Amino acid sequence: MTTLAPAPPRFARLREVATRPTSVLIAGGVLAALVLAALGADLLRPADGIALDRVLAPPSLEHPFGTDETGRDVLALSLRAMRVSFAISLLAASVALLIGVTIGVLAGTLGGWVDGLLMRIVDFFGSQNHFLFAILLVVLFRPVLGAAAAVCLSVGLSHWLVLARIVRGELLSLRERPFVAAAVGGGASRARLVVRHFLPHLGPSVAVAMVLLLPHAIFHESALSFLGLGLPPHQASLGNLIAAGQRSMLAGAWWISVFPGLLILAACVAFGTLGEYWRDRHQPRWRGELEL
Amino acid sequence: MNPPAFSVRDLGVTFATRRGPVTALSGIDLDLHPGTVHVVIGESGSGKSVLAHALLDLLPRNVTLRGSRHLGAEDLAAADARRWREVRARHLAFIPQSPMSALNPVRRVGPLLVELARARGVARSAAWPAVAAALRSVDLDPERIRSSYPHHLSGGMAQRVVTSLALVGSPQVVIADEPTSGLDADLIDRTAGHLANLAERGAALLVITHDLTLAQRLGGTTSVLYASQLLERRHTGALFDSPAHPYVVALLDARPERGGRPIPGMPPELTALPGHCVFAARCTRVRAECRREVPALHPLDDGGVRCVLHAGVQQGVG
Amino acid sequence: MTATVEHAPATGRPRRPASAARIIARRMLTLPLVLFAVAALTFGLIAISPYDANSAYTGITGSISAQTREQINVAWGPDGSTLEQFGSWLGNIAHGDLGNFRLLAGQPVAGEIAERALPSLVLVLTALVLVLVGGLVFGVLAAAFRDSPLDWAVRTFSYYGTAAPSFWVGLLLLYVFSLQLGWLPSGGSVDVRAADGGFIDPVHLILPAVTLAITQQAWFTLYVRDTMLEVLRDDHVRFAEASGVRRVAVLTRHALPNALIPFITLTGTHLSELIGGAVLAETVFGWPGIGRLTVEAALAVDIPLLVAITLAGSVLVVLGNLVADLLYRVADPRIREGAT
Repeated sequence: MTTLAPAPPRFARLREVATRPTSVLIAGGVLAALVLAALGADLLRPADGIALDRVLAPPSLEHPFGTDETGRDVLALSLRAMRVSFAISLLAASVALLIGVTIGVLAGTLGGWVDGLLMRIVDFFGSQNHFLFAILLVVLFRPVLGAAAAVCLSVGLSHWLVLARIVRGELLSLRERPFVAAAVGGGASRARLVVRHFLPHLGPSVAVAMVLLLPHAIFHESALSFLGLGLPPHQASLGNLIAAGQRSMLAGAWWISVFPGLLILAACVAFGTLGEYWRDRHQPRWRGELEL
Repeated sequence: MNPPAFSVRDLGVTFATRRGPVTALSGIDLDLHPGTVHVVIGESGSGKSVLAHALLDLLPRNVTLRGSRHLGAEDLAAADARRWREVRARHLAFIPQSPMSALNPVRRVGPLLVELARARGVARSAAWPAVAAALRSVDLDPERIRSSYPHHLSGGMAQRVVTSLALVGSPQVVIADEPTSGLDADLIDRTAGHLANLAERGAALLVITHDLTLAQRLGGTTSVLYASQLLERRHTGALFDSPAHPYVVALLDARPERGGRPIPGMPPELTALPGHCVFAARCTRVRAECRREVPALHPLDDGGVRCVLHAGVQQGVG
Repeated sequence: MTATVEHAPATGRPRRPASAARIIARRMLTLPLVLFAVAALTFGLIAISPYDANSAYTGITGSISAQTREQINVAWGPDGSTLEQFGSWLGNIAHGDLGNFRLLAGQPVAGEIAERALPSLVLVLTALVLVLVGGLVFGVLAAAFRDSPLDWAVRTFSYYGTAAPSFWVGLLLLYVFSLQLGWLPSGGSVDVRAADGGFIDPVHLILPAVTLAITQQAWFTLYVRDTMLEVLRDDHVRFAEASGVRRVAVLTRHALPNALIPFITLTGTHLSELIGGAVLAETVFGWPGIGRLTVEAALAVDIPLLVAITLAGSVLVVLGNLVADLLYRVADPRIREGAT
């Protein structure tokens, strides 16, 4: 049916959910707070040692997140764990970025059968279950890479697909642009074309993809750690804490599991809100690829 | 003249969009009398489809509506959603623009038509007979249609199916939105016949189209829309023989059989309508006073023309 | 996420008539290809990893007799190149020999998987039903009452639902409903104290299934809502409205059937997400299914078992797509008839 004005844009529904500017501001604030708290964990909350006189104490002013079964302050543990989680997720997302961009560039610039083959592979792996593969990867490579690196690799290898598709898509549309013909006419080699002309254009969409990838990476890493397949206890991430808290939960100490989980939730929602807002404003065509 | 079955006064429709307010209709007056045909002609973007939706109260949510709509004596401004549904079911009928997509693709046409007939108030046992009779009157075989899916039908058949629905339940007002878009010449003629038939049965027929030939064939009264405004309303024959508004003159001259001279320029953006005559920018007879304010609809031959050139002229041609 | 949809969406044009047999045949043909690809990938990964493929597959560590080693060599061909090893491994799989796993000193893998499959199946299917029903109900309601407080509540809950870690949500539910309120059991699939035993106690099923369903349901709800909102703008829905059909009928008889069509495809392809989620849910609640077996296998570095589970997962994905294709065919007559 023809109406004169455009129907409310398809993305309007997403705006309705959480992308009103106030939500974005709140998300930004929350995220900033979390990151700062994680970075400044040592300053904010010096790690205290075991104190058997205040084992499993519920949240209080002195210990906002309570204490664990050895009396350690859960807030201190959480901040450090958050730092670990953020760091690992960022690294994992970077691994995904590296692989994804490479594959995407190859597919987008070489075209032809290379493109077809690569995209077939991408589609195939997209339909498989990432988690099982991630588990397999972690198990196989932990002894040689160490837990942290193995987790990064595992999470990264399960999430590069979206980036590959986006990069390829962007390149395909870039190829049609006049400046490409001009550059080629000027004698630019393919490599030069890629590096000097294409890569800069990829920046914004890749950045959006990364921001939206982080919640997945955080979740994935904490899931692996929760299962005991991720980081070791002395390098505890939020997932480890949640797992450790399960034991204490039976004794009624809910705070050890709940608060780290809340931090994960807050971080994911914050990244998601910011990412989706950014995506809808500037890169709406990737809406289908990038969803929380 | 009988009292109008449906009348509209000073109807204005504005959409709130991200690019700013879009004025789709402004100052539209319309009377639909039983047993007559009223044709609304306009280019795309003139507001004609919005008019259909406004009469049915099927506009999207980001819309501001001004003016009044009356069903007979009832002022529909007081109607709530439930009343509007009743109005649509019992008093109005709609023949949509793309008949193929108006039929639910995953349902067989027969049961769909029966359901729509019952929505019109036809009793359950009488529903299929009524639908079958309506289908026959548009030269379709009811049994064949009954078990078909929409994609089994040709465009012409789908057009006749949705037209036939207007025959069920005897609605007082039938609104047809581009009933002949995409049809071949002979189908246009046949559709025009079916539509005229509706009027003969006593309905007040409103046909919205950009097809000038169809308008001429249907007769009745013709209103011309341009950039959200009603520029001329006359008896169809009179309008085609001696158009009054410069736009209508140019429009008729632009027909292939008259020389095919296109009108230079573009219609104004609906987000930025001038506060004066909307055709001024392209008019060959524009005067200073045209740019002062929106001209009133000056009476002419039982109708009107919104042009300063005809101010004060009661009969005859400007 | 990608949906490997073979046919165009509801308003598109499929290529040729698709009989049920043809659909099944086409999908089943991809199965060996998929399995091969997954097998190749996993084998490749193992080859790169520090684990010796050979000893990994036999699941035997420590000293073994020369005779056993000879038997292994014959079966798995350790002296060949990686490619030859792969070949013989594939051959073994084709015969149903998935290797032995070391958790129980060399028990065949296939048997163990079969035993644990049923609880997982029950769990996943229950969760799937919850997801579908919940997603439909709340999605339709949210679309029908767009921008109402109900809509806002559904959207907010769903949005946070997609962001919350499923295992954490499970723990929360465990704490509230089991430990604090005592309404539901805290783990396992049966009450060990019950005299009559039985295989799976429905009460024990509730929390794990709900946990598994909650994060997936959120996504479905939003998807149903969005699809409904789109369908509500379709011409045929507008026509029904214009013809005076009541709002409820418009929603249920005109909009919903069409909105369900893309929904169906996603059900099939979303199965893989549920598999991942099952691993976590089963761990939280000690559910004796394949998910927990996966974790046990991973912790014990039991590679044959992990590989087998991964392969099984791939099979499920293909089956899920097949079911989606068949359902799609049932739902949309244009697909059935190959309409253009």
